[in-house]
Amino acid sequence: MKYAAKKIVTMVITLILVTFFVFLAFNFISGDAAVSMLGTNASPERLAALRHELGLDEPVLLRYVKWFAGFLRGDFGISYSYRIGVAGMIGEKIPVTLTMALYAFVIMIVISIPLGIFAAMHQEGWIDRGVSVINQVIMAIPPFFSGILITLLFGRIFRLFTPGGYVSYRTDFAGFLGYMFFPALAIALPKAAMAVRLLRGTLIREYNMDYVRTAFSRGNSTKDVLYHHMLKNALLPAVTFFGMALADMIAGSIIVEQVFSIPGLGRILLTSISNRDYPVVMAVIVIISLLVLISNTLVDIIYSLIDPRINLNE
Amino acid sequence: MSKPGILFKKNTNLIAGAVLIGFMLIFMLAGIIRTPYDPNAMDASLKFARMSGSHPFGCDNFGRDILSRVMDGSLSTFKVALGTVFIGTFFGILIGASTGYFGGAFDEILMRINDAVFAFPSILLALLFISLMGGGTYQVMIALGIAFIPSFARIVRAEFLKQKNMDYVKSLRLLGASHFRIMFIHILPNTLTVLLSSIMIGFNNAVLAEASMSFLGIGVQPPDPSLGRMLSEAQAYLYKAPYYAIFPGLAIILLILGFSLLSDGISK
Amino acid sequence: MKKKLISLFLMTSVLAIALCGCAGDKKGDDSSITIGIPQDLEDGLDPHKVEAAGTKEVLFNIFEGLVKPTSDGDFIPAVASAYEISEDGRTYTFTVRDNVKFHDGSKLKTSDVKYSIDRCAGLDGGTPLVAAFSNIEETVADGQTFTVKLKEPDTEFIAYMTAAIIPEANKTPDTNPIGTGPYKFVSRSPQENFIIKKFDDYYNKDLAAHIENVTFKVIGNPDTLAMEMNSGAIDLFARIPTAQAELLDDRFEIMEETMNLVQALYINNAVEPFDDVRVRQALCYAIDPKEIMLFVSDGKGTEIGSSMFPAFSKYYMPELNDTYNQDLDKAKALLEEAGYPDGFTFDITVASNYTQHVDTAQVLKQEFEKIGVTANIKLVEWDSWLSDVYNGRNYTTTVVGVDASSLTASALLERFTSASSKNFINYSNPDYDAAFANAKKATDDDEKTGYYKECLKILSEDAANVYIQDLPEFVALNKKYTGYEFYPLYVQDISKIRLAE
Repeated sequence: MKYAAKKIVTMVITLILVTFFVFLAFNFISGDAAVSMLGTNASPERLAALRHELGLDEPVLLRYVKWFAGFLRGDFGISYSYRIGVAGMIGEKIPVTLTMALYAFVIMIVISIPLGIFAAMHQEGWIDRGVSVINQVIMAIPPFFSGILITLLFGRIFRLFTPGGYVSYRTDFAGFLGYMFFPALAIALPKAAMAVRLLRGTLIREYNMDYVRTAFSRGNSTKDVLYHHMLKNALLPAVTFFGMALADMIAGSIIVEQVFSIPGLGRILLTSISNRDYPVVMAVIVIISLLVLISNTLVDIIYSLIDPRINLNE
Repeated sequence: MSKPGILFKKNTNLIAGAVLIGFMLIFMLAGIIRTPYDPNAMDASLKFARMSGSHPFGCDNFGRDILSRVMDGSLSTFKVALGTVFIGTFFGILIGASTGYFGGAFDEILMRINDAVFAFPSILLALLFISLMGGGTYQVMIALGIAFIPSFARIVRAEFLKQKNMDYVKSLRLLGASHFRIMFIHILPNTLTVLLSSIMIGFNNAVLAEASMSFLGIGVQPPDPSLGRMLSEAQAYLYKAPYYAIFPGLAIILLILGFSLLSDGISK
Repeated sequence: MKKKLISLFLMTSVLAIALCGCAGDKKGDDSSITIGIPQDLEDGLDPHKVEAAGTKEVLFNIFEGLVKPTSDGDFIPAVASAYEISEDGRTYTFTVRDNVKFHDGSKLKTSDVKYSIDRCAGLDGGTPLVAAFSNIEETVADGQTFTVKLKEPDTEFIAYMTAAIIPEANKTPDTNPIGTGPYKFVSRSPQENFIIKKFDDYYNKDLAAHIENVTFKVIGNPDTLAMEMNSGAIDLFARIPTAQAELLDDRFEIMEETMNLVQALYINNAVEPFDDVRVRQALCYAIDPKEIMLFVSDGKGTEIGSSMFPAFSKYYMPELNDTYNQDLDKAKALLEEAGYPDGFTFDITVASNYTQHVDTAQVLKQEFEKIGVTANIKLVEWDSWLSDVYNGRNYTTTVVGVDASSLTASALLERFTSASSKNFINYSNPDYDAAFANAKKATDDDEKTGYYKECLKILSEDAANVYIQDLPEFVALNKKYTGYEFYPLYVQDISKIRLAE
C-alpha cells in the first residue's frame, strides 16, 4: 500500500504543480481567449464584455480554485473556442492518440524481441554487427525526420498510403488503422532499436551465467535453454524499458501527429495553446500525465507478475 | 575505466563517437570562421538550385546556400544543447549532491518535487514553457535546461548515496573536512564517469529536443537558420527539392549519433 | 512463448498489410464534396460573434442576412424580398419574405429579424457586436415590413444588412447554428471536420444548393495537401500554397485570383524614427514589390500603392503604385536628410502562422540592408500579435494583410482616421480625417468616390505604410466539379458549386 500511496502522492503533486504553473503562465503571457476570439475587430467594450462572459475578469487564484474544484468533480469546464464541454471534446481524441501509442508499442515489441534474440544468438557474427550498426543509426533519427522519410518512401514512392489522408476511427475503423500504421512506425523505430540493444545485452549476460551452463550441461538444447530459462530473466529489464517507452510514445505523439496531420490530443493541445483556450490545455495535460502514470503503473504490475520476488508493497 | 589511454583501446563506440563529434565540431567551427556564402543571402536566380560544385547541398526556396545554412544551423543547435546541458548539469549536481549527501526531510521534499517534474514528459514540459514564455534561443535553452534538471539530479543523488557511506568519506569527516569540501572536492570527482556518460546522453537528448522545438517553429528566429526549422520548411518542397530536407536531417542524425556513441563508450 | 510471439508478429504484419490496401481512394458519392480548410472554426458558431475570417467564410453557407453579397460586389435581396433607402440616407425599409424557413423547420417571422439586428446593434442591452451598428437609432417590425433608422446618414449601410438573421427561439447559437441559408449544419469534430447538408426547404429554388453533402476537413499539415488532393480525399482547397499547387495532377483546375487584402509593412507612425515622413518614404524607396513577389509567390500577386485592393475597381488607383519606385540613392538621401546617414535598427514583428508574411519579412530585411537599415524579425504567435501589435500598438513595424470586413471603402479606410479604435499604426493627419469625413457625409456617389480617392492618395504620399501587394490566391478544384465563384470578400460559396457535366 505504501508503494501505491507514494505513486499517487507524486502524481497529485505533479498535477498541482503543472496545472498551477500553466494557469499562472496563461495569466502572464500576452493575449487571452477574448483577444483571440475578437481578432482585428476587438473594441475595448467588446473585450470587456466577452471577458466577463467567459469569467476571465476574475482573479487568477479564484479561477484556479474553481477549475480545480471542477476537476475534482470530473468537470473539465467548457472550451472557449468551441463552446462545448472539454470532457467530450477530449474524450473523442483520446482514442486517436492512444491507438497511435499502443500501435507503436506493438510494433516495437514485434520488431525488437525476435531481433534481440536473433542478434544475441549470433553474437559477434556479421549479422549481429550489422544489426548493431543499423540500431545505432536508427536510434539517432528523430521521429519527425523518420516521419518525413516514411512519407517520402511509403507515401510518394510506394504509394502505400496517402499522407494527410487520415480517416476518423468512427467512420472507417480499418482505414483508420491502416493510416495509423505509418505514424506509429515512425514513433516505434527508435524505441525498437533501443529495445533490441537492451535485449541483446541482457541475453548475452544471462548466457554467461552459471544456471545457463548448468542447463546446457544437463543436455538441454539451445532453444530450450533460451526460451525456458534465459528469456524470462532477460525480459525483466526489458519490461521496465517498454513501460518507459510507452510513456515516451504517448508524449512523443504530439510532434508526429503534426507531421502526419492527425487530429489527436497533440493537435488539440497546440491549437488550444495558441487560442489561449486554457480549459482545454489543462485537460490535455492532465490526460497525458494520467496516461503516462497508468502505463508506468502497468509496468510495475507486470513486473511483479513476471518476477514474484518483487513485492509492490515494499 | 581508469585511464583515458585504456579507455580508447578497443572501444569502437568511443572512437566512432569522438570522430563523429570531432567532425561536426570542425564543421561548425569552420562555419564560425567563414561559411561558403552568407547563410541569409537570398538570390532569386538560385531558387531550388540543385546540388553542384558551387553549392554542394543545393539552395532553398529563397536561393540561400543550404550548406552554409546547415553549418550555421548545426552551430545554433549545438549552442542550445550546450546551454541546456549546462543548466541541467549545474542544478542537477547541486540538487542531487545536497539531497544525496544530507538526506532527511530536505531530501524527501526535494525528491518528491523532482519526481513530480520527472513524471511529466520533458518534451511536453519544454513545449509548455516555451509556448508560454515566447520563443527564442535563450527561452528554449532555459526551458529545456529546467526540464533536464530532474534526471541529472537523480543520477547524481544515487551516486552520492553510494559514496557517502564509503570509508574515505568517513575518514575525511574524522579529519574535519567541511561538508562542502567533501561533496565537491572529494565525492564529485569519483562520480565523473557516470556523470560524463549522462552528460553525453544529455547532449543527445538536448539536440533532439532543440530540433523538435524548432521543427514546431519555436526557437531560433528566421531568417537565421536552425536545423529543425529548415526541416519543417523543407517539408513543403519534399518532392521538388528532397536535398533541402535530407541535409539538415543528416546533420541532426550525426550529432545525435555521435553523442550516443560517446556516452556508450564512456560507460563501457 | 515462441509460438505466441511469432503469431503476434504475423498477425500484426498481416493486419498492417491488409489495412494499407484500404487507405486508397474513397468512394465517389455523386452529390458530396470534401473541402479542405487550413484552420478549424475556433471562435464558436454564433454568426454575430465570430470574427475569424476562416469561420465566417464557412458560416456564409448557413446564414443569410436581409440582403446578401454577390460575387461582383453587389447586394441582392435575401431574407428581404426588396428594400428602399430614403433620400436622406437615414431610413432603410425592408419587405421581409413570408416564405422563409429556418433550418429547424420553423417559419421566419419579422420579429426574428428585429431580434437579430437588435442583437448586433446592442439594442437588447449588450454592447454593439459590429461597430458600424452603433449608428442604428431604432428598428421597427410591422407586419412584413422592417425599418432601420440611423443616427447619421450612411448610404453604404446596406453592406451591413448582410448580418445573419437567426431565430429568437434558439438559445444555443454558439454550438447549434440555425439559419436560413442554402446549407444546414449537421455535425462537427474539433480539429477534424465540419459537416453541412443541403437545406431542402430553401425559399429560393433558383439559388438553392446543388451538392447534397459538404464536409469541410481541417488540414493539419499543409505540406502534404497535394498528395491528399491527388488521392481524391479532398476536392476543393482555396488559397492553396504555390508549392502544393505545382504538385497537383491534371484532374485539378487551378484558378487564380487575389486574396483581396492589403499586404504592407505597417509602421507605427508614432515611434521614432518613423514619426519622420522622410524615414517612411526611404523605406518605400528601398523595396521592390516585384522582387518580394518573386520570392514569396513565384512572381504572382498584384502590386498596390495604397490601402485599396484591385477588386474594388471603383476606388483602386493603379497610378499610386508608382509613387515610389525602387531607388536606393533616393532612399539613402532621404535617410541622411532625416538625420540617419548610417541607418538604424528596428524590429519587424510578424505572426508566425502566416508563412507569406514571414517570407515577405525575410525579403524586406534583405532589401533594407541595402540602404544601411537593419531589420530584426520577431516572430510571435497570432494571439500575441493581436494583443501586443494590433490592440496594444506596442511595436515598431509589422507585416500583415488587412482585409475589408464588409463591402465598403470605409471598411478599409476608417481605420486610418486619428480617432479610430482600429488605427493600429497611430496614423494622424488632419487632411486625411477631413477627406474621410467628407466621403462619409456625401450622398452623391461620384462625390463620395472622389473623397475616398483623396484619402488613398494622402496615405500613399505620406508613406503611412510601406505598401507591397495584394497576395495571389490559388483555388484548386477537382474537375469533377464546376461553378466556383470568387467574391471580393472572404467567402466560400458552396451553393454555386455543381457537378461538371
